[in-house]
Amino acid sequence: MGIWILIPVFLPVIVGVLYLMPFKKDEFGDGDKESLDRLHRLTAVVMVVSAALALLAAWSGENSYTWFELMEGIPIYFQIDGISRLFVTVFSIAWVLVCFYSFTYMGHEGNERRFFGFYLIVYGVLVALCFAGNLVTLYLFYELMTLTSMPMVLHSGSRESIMAALKYLFYSMCGAYLGLFAIFFLYKYCDSITFTAGGTLNLALAQGHTGILLAAVMAALIGFGAKAGMFPLHAWLPTAHPVAPAPASAVLSGIIAKAGVLSIIRVMFYIVGADFIRGTWVQTAWMTLSLLTVFMGSMLAFREKVFKKRLAYSTVSQVSYILFGLSVLSPTGMEGALLHVVFHAFIKCALFLTAGIFIFQAGYSRVDQLEGIGKKMPKTLWCFTFASLALVGIPPASGFISKWYLAQGALEAEIGVFRWVGPAILLLSALLTAGYLLSIVTNGFFPKVKDAVHGAVVAKASSASDVVQESAAAVAVGAGHGMDMTKAADAVQESASDGADAHHASGGEITEAPLGMLIPLAIFAALSILLGVFPNPLIQFVSGIAATVL
Amino acid sequence: MSSIFLAVVVLFPIVGGALIPLLPFRSRAQMMVYTEGVVLLNSILAIALLLNRPAGEFVLLRFTSNLTLSFRIDGLGTVFAGLISVLWPLATLYAFEYMKHEEHEKFFFMFYTITFGITMGIALAEDIVTMYCFYEMLTLVTLPLVIHTLTREAVLAGRTYLYYSLGGAAFAFIGVIFILIYGTSPEFVAGGVLDLAKIGDRTNLLLLIYVLCFFGFSVKAAMFPFSGWLPKAGVAPTPVTALLHAVAVVKAGAFATMRITYYSFGTEFLRGTWAQTAVLIPIIITIVYGCSRALKETHLKRRLAWSTVSNLSYILFGTALMTPLGLVGALCHMICHAVIKICSFFCAGAVICQSGREYIHQLDGLGKKMPKTFVIFTISGLALMGVPGLAGFISKWNLVKAALDSTHPLAVVGVAALMISALLTAIYMLTISVRAFVLNAPSETKNTAEHKIVPYEEVRDPGWMMLLPLVLFIAAMVVIGLHPEPLIDAFTQIASALS
Repeated sequence: MGIWILIPVFLPVIVGVLYLMPFKKDEFGDGDKESLDRLHRLTAVVMVVSAALALLAAWSGENSYTWFELMEGIPIYFQIDGISRLFVTVFSIAWVLVCFYSFTYMGHEGNERRFFGFYLIVYGVLVALCFAGNLVTLYLFYELMTLTSMPMVLHSGSRESIMAALKYLFYSMCGAYLGLFAIFFLYKYCDSITFTAGGTLNLALAQGHTGILLAAVMAALIGFGAKAGMFPLHAWLPTAHPVAPAPASAVLSGIIAKAGVLSIIRVMFYIVGADFIRGTWVQTAWMTLSLLTVFMGSMLAFREKVFKKRLAYSTVSQVSYILFGLSVLSPTGMEGALLHVVFHAFIKCALFLTAGIFIFQAGYSRVDQLEGIGKKMPKTLWCFTFASLALVGIPPASGFISKWYLAQGALEAEIGVFRWVGPAILLLSALLTAGYLLSIVTNGFFPKVKDAVHGAVVAKASSASDVVQESAAAVAVGAGHGMDMTKAADAVQESASDGADAHHASGGEITEAPLGMLIPLAIFAALSILLGVFPNPLIQFVSGIAATVL
Repeated sequence: MSSIFLAVVVLFPIVGGALIPLLPFRSRAQMMVYTEGVVLLNSILAIALLLNRPAGEFVLLRFTSNLTLSFRIDGLGTVFAGLISVLWPLATLYAFEYMKHEEHEKFFFMFYTITFGITMGIALAEDIVTMYCFYEMLTLVTLPLVIHTLTREAVLAGRTYLYYSLGGAAFAFIGVIFILIYGTSPEFVAGGVLDLAKIGDRTNLLLLIYVLCFFGFSVKAAMFPFSGWLPKAGVAPTPVTALLHAVAVVKAGAFATMRITYYSFGTEFLRGTWAQTAVLIPIIITIVYGCSRALKETHLKRRLAWSTVSNLSYILFGTALMTPLGLVGALCHMICHAVIKICSFFCAGAVICQSGREYIHQLDGLGKKMPKTFVIFTISGLALMGVPGLAGFISKWNLVKAALDSTHPLAVVGVAALMISALLTAIYMLTISVRAFVLNAPSETKNTAEHKIVPYEEVRDPGWMMLLPLVLFIAAMVVIGLHPEPLIDAFTQIASALS
């Protein structure tokens, strides 16, 4: 075997880096339609080929490859196991579909060559992250992922997006260094830093250092939890995800947040081992933090009026479902968590792509503007409806399966009071999820009577004074939420730009989304339903993984 | 090679440099060729010498029977001498382009070249007296470089530098005396020279002297609370700040602390005592303090200077762990930080030289005009914060490994401080890159014309003499980052002589 499993890493990275090289302005992707088409064609080919190669590498047997020795005993090492397969498959499917969506969407954001350059690079880095076979390799690509995905956040170049990107960077770095702190300790007290199902912690060596080791494990949890939006390092997520262009928000929320989950799984189940943390204060803290995040995320999403921000808060909440499933340390809980990794990735992509379509077609970015949108864009809203139902967890949609397993896992684990607190909070959060997603659906399909009459007129009438009012409202809301001033200022700017967008859009009639965007969305929506209807192969696969580590 | 060459590599640049204002050069180019020739020749000689180390010593002067100025080369000296021999010709090359617009060039290059010899003297000193002499001389010959521009600010900075350095040296001198009295010999011997029989029950006195001596030498390594002079000295021309205030002078301070800790007082005597705690505490404070000040600083070069303050304490931290592994970490960071920081300083210098902008808020959008410089700056920033695959990660890893291996309770606190510092480093380095690449240039205001600020449209990347060293440094970072094994092996060998 060997180096060829790294081709899907290098191919997109090299092509992406070439995109970023300074060409003459209008040669490639920056000029007329023809140059854009060239860019899109090349990107599509590279994307599909790398994804195919990644899947091929993942599913063609147990592979491992040592690239080189970074230091004595610390190789940059790749190995493929069940977790790698699961994550790389989900990442690749989502990345390819969102890529096709972006060809249309990015037309209105501009600067496409830079976007697709980084988009490809991040894909390569993510594949490497999935394939990483030891802690240092994981850490290397984790850092690279942060650094290369940051430019997608600041794509628009507005002051707001730059501040958001920096916030993203600093929170992620803070997390990464907490993780690194733990890696130092694990390196000292583990037999090897190669990922091994069940953990490699040397209990004899750790004897007498349990306190500091648990603290280190907790540091890793909080650190890698930053990417997954777990409290207390969650605050960057609702700022950074919404300001990115919609496809970037989709992959940030759907995929990159999962990279945090992947890292936590690797550290907890493949290095430390579940037995070491079972019943300790770390497990309690883990469960508490994740449940707190589940509840808090849902509450904030419920109160949020900006569509993409609402979805970002929803991510905060939903990714912590996964973390809770992992924290109970029972096989069923882990199965639920892994299932939710898959389902949430597809569902959240679908939801963000919908949000992107509304912005692209109509310039609407606030949920209250979506009144009656179902009349004009029925297909889009139907896709959104299916994905929402799946996220809420209505059978037979996919979210139901994962939540069932999550609750089941909590009930059968030896975790004291959390045995019923956990499922109760999951249920409560599901209700809130229904509240913040399905209200959009009902308003979209069944507008209130007076709004049905005024319909488009409302949008047309959004004049400067409205914008000002909206901004004032946003500030008030911001203050009410106890947000800091920068956030409130963000909100002001956002609503101001909303006004501009709405004004811009009111020039023409609002129509259904073009197929280039609708088809990826429909596939995601279909996946989020169908995986619930036919879940058995997937369940078998994840239970196989869970059985090896627990 | 014969041991006389030990004296040659010290004296040749001193003489060669002193001749610069005296020789009748017909053009600037001639002076450049001469200076670069002297420096390069000396570097080649030094590296040849390091590869074929003479075993014997060379006595330059004999004051009394046991007080001599003498040179000998050992592992630790090799590292420091090798470092400066590699960096000096590159920095000189850079200085030619940078100093084009400055006055009194001849005197500048005179002192710049002399400093090379003096620093070499510190690296090759055989005993503590020789090291001390060259250490004092280093202060004196670098002073003219600090006050080079002769502005009021520069003169004040020079004065501060002088007071701090001489004050520190005075404390260090006490240590030198005690080593002469209580040691078996003034020479540096791996493991220390203290004669326990002579000390008797005066252990605590000796520990106190060690602490004073350590503080004295660490003034040059800018340890808190003696770090104030370094950012002030940033008024000097960039080749000085980059080479002297990020590498030669400050690392001479760190080098001296290694010498007294591992080769004079000896770690056996010091490890686990209150003296170790007494030096570790300010070091750990400096690691975080330097970064915090860097974050607050808006002047580009001063920000880098504060960053140096913090990073020098990484080296001191490794030293103060007082284990062989700690020395490995310290040496590793000495090399890695030297390469990284000189690179980022040169980028800052290129920006100042090409655009006249000195404050970070003026750098908005400059990345589009100077892409090469800022890409290099970004890579050096990534290396400094410790992204794996670049040099900074290697040294951080070794430092932390040493810390976790040591039994001192403060070691874990030190590790936490390193992580906090890494985060702050990420913040203060990457904000600059983001500003330069993403923000748009502010519209020009009229009063920019008063200063040396170049209009935005006319800013461009510097010439090859500035870019070549930068590219070489980046290459070095990557090579060390991906293939550190030979370096670490060499350091381990040096450290293994201690135990």
